[in-house]
Amino acid sequence: MNWAIEVNNLNVWYGDKHVIKNVSFKVPKNIIFAVMGPSGCGKSTLLRAMNRLLELNPYARVEGQVKINGIDVYSDNVDITWVRRQFGMVFQIPNPFPHLSIYENVALGPKLNGLVKDRSELDELVKQALQQAYLWDEVKNDLKKPASMLSGGQQQRLCIARALALKPKIILMDEPTANLDPVASSKIEELMLELKEEYTIIIVTHNPQQAARISDYVAFLYMGELIEIGETSMVFTRPRNALTEKYVVGRMG
Amino acid sequence: MNKRKVIEKIMLGVISSLAIISAIPIFAIIINIYSEGARHLTLNFLIDLPPPPVSGKSGGIGPALVGSLILTSLAVAIGGSIGFFTGLYLSEFSHTRLAHYTQIFLQIMVEFPTIIIGLFAYMVLVAPLKRFNALAGAFALSIVIIPYIALNVREAYRSIPYTLKEAAFSLGVSAPIAYLRILLSTARRGVLTALLIGMAKAAGETAPLLLTILGTTFTYFGGLDQPINAIPLLIYNFALSPYERWHQVAWGAAAVLLTITLMIFIISRLVVREVKV
Repeated sequence: MNWAIEVNNLNVWYGDKHVIKNVSFKVPKNIIFAVMGPSGCGKSTLLRAMNRLLELNPYARVEGQVKINGIDVYSDNVDITWVRRQFGMVFQIPNPFPHLSIYENVALGPKLNGLVKDRSELDELVKQALQQAYLWDEVKNDLKKPASMLSGGQQQRLCIARALALKPKIILMDEPTANLDPVASSKIEELMLELKEEYTIIIVTHNPQQAARISDYVAFLYMGELIEIGETSMVFTRPRNALTEKYVVGRMG
Repeated sequence: MNKRKVIEKIMLGVISSLAIISAIPIFAIIINIYSEGARHLTLNFLIDLPPPPVSGKSGGIGPALVGSLILTSLAVAIGGSIGFFTGLYLSEFSHTRLAHYTQIFLQIMVEFPTIIIGLFAYMVLVAPLKRFNALAGAFALSIVIIPYIALNVREAYRSIPYTLKEAAFSLGVSAPIAYLRILLSTARRGVLTALLIGMAKAAGETAPLLLTILGTTFTYFGGLDQPINAIPLLIYNFALSPYERWHQVAWGAAAVLLTITLMIFIISRLVVREVKV
């Protein structure tokens, strides 16, 4: 099978603290893969180890393999900027660049990475990304306005558009709805179901209900260890591990 | 009113008066300088050569103003670039030992007597050339302003939310592009303030210039390897001269310098205020 991403024996340390412990799993293409677990279990770290964003933290150390299309992102001859471009990333707090316009927020990535030849191609790409993120109709007349004027939910969809504009293979989402109201959250969830037709989505969530609603496969991470992984319906109806069961029925925060 | 409240009132009164007293010097200086110098503030005064000591026209501070502009621009260009990248390094590589020690050195440099820096510039750029020169002055001023700019740029970059840094790097760009093309505009007001502080400092310093540029009186600009004048140095030289006419020019020059400094200060305050909105 052709996997979207393969993680083999991944370990992460912050200084002396071992935060991801020998984690291995494979993610099929065009699905939503959820990583759930209580706060501080290492979910966000795991996500950042995949696109090597973790290296912004000087105290982080990684061992193991993360393969996309058979290429280990940690091998010496792989360029870190190439790695990051294979992933689109959406963060917990909507973080559009506040000083840039709505248009520029989406256009920046393709422009700086030379993905487009000219302005009209860029315009088209921005429009396409905003349409894919279900935001185009709401902002098409305000493209020049600052991104900070948008609501929280709109800002998060703008960040999704910014990620999509890079034409990534995989979208990483770090608790993308944790700071949104229920209506905005459900919009993002609908959007994810739409996007998996074209992309592989890996979402981190501390909310088991969200994982149950949207994911095809789910992994349960606890204190840096991968406790259980499988098809979402199986993990939620017949968990094999007692810890998983405790978590999915809501007896562990 | 009980005793405790009376004491409280008295103490508050004393503290308020002390606060007012500490603000008196700045107003006294402004009033004093402008009352003596304001009448010289004409366009001709800014452009003309200084007057001959005893007779002739009233004259101006043209050469010193040109010199100050050149020296300040050079200092901000040299010290600004070095200070900017040092500040960026201090902010983004704060965990390194080099950053740790650089920071300590910069904090010492802020307190350095600037005459010593002037002496150093004399040794490096004046003595070998056997001539006082503009470049030595600009070099000395650059060294003076580097720590101010570096420490303020460090603060500007530090104030960028971590989540925006992650957003910038998640776009798959190299570190220089992330820091200079994306995040610089987020920190632009802080960086601009840093450069303005450096500019005000460079425009107002006298000591580093005493041993480096000599101070010409009647030449505007003869090249970077030639002596040049600057407003603070002109004030120093003319105020010490025995000629009343030159004393008047010194007062006018002081008013010009004060105006430049206040303008830079006001601009930087406006810049800072914009940040909070």
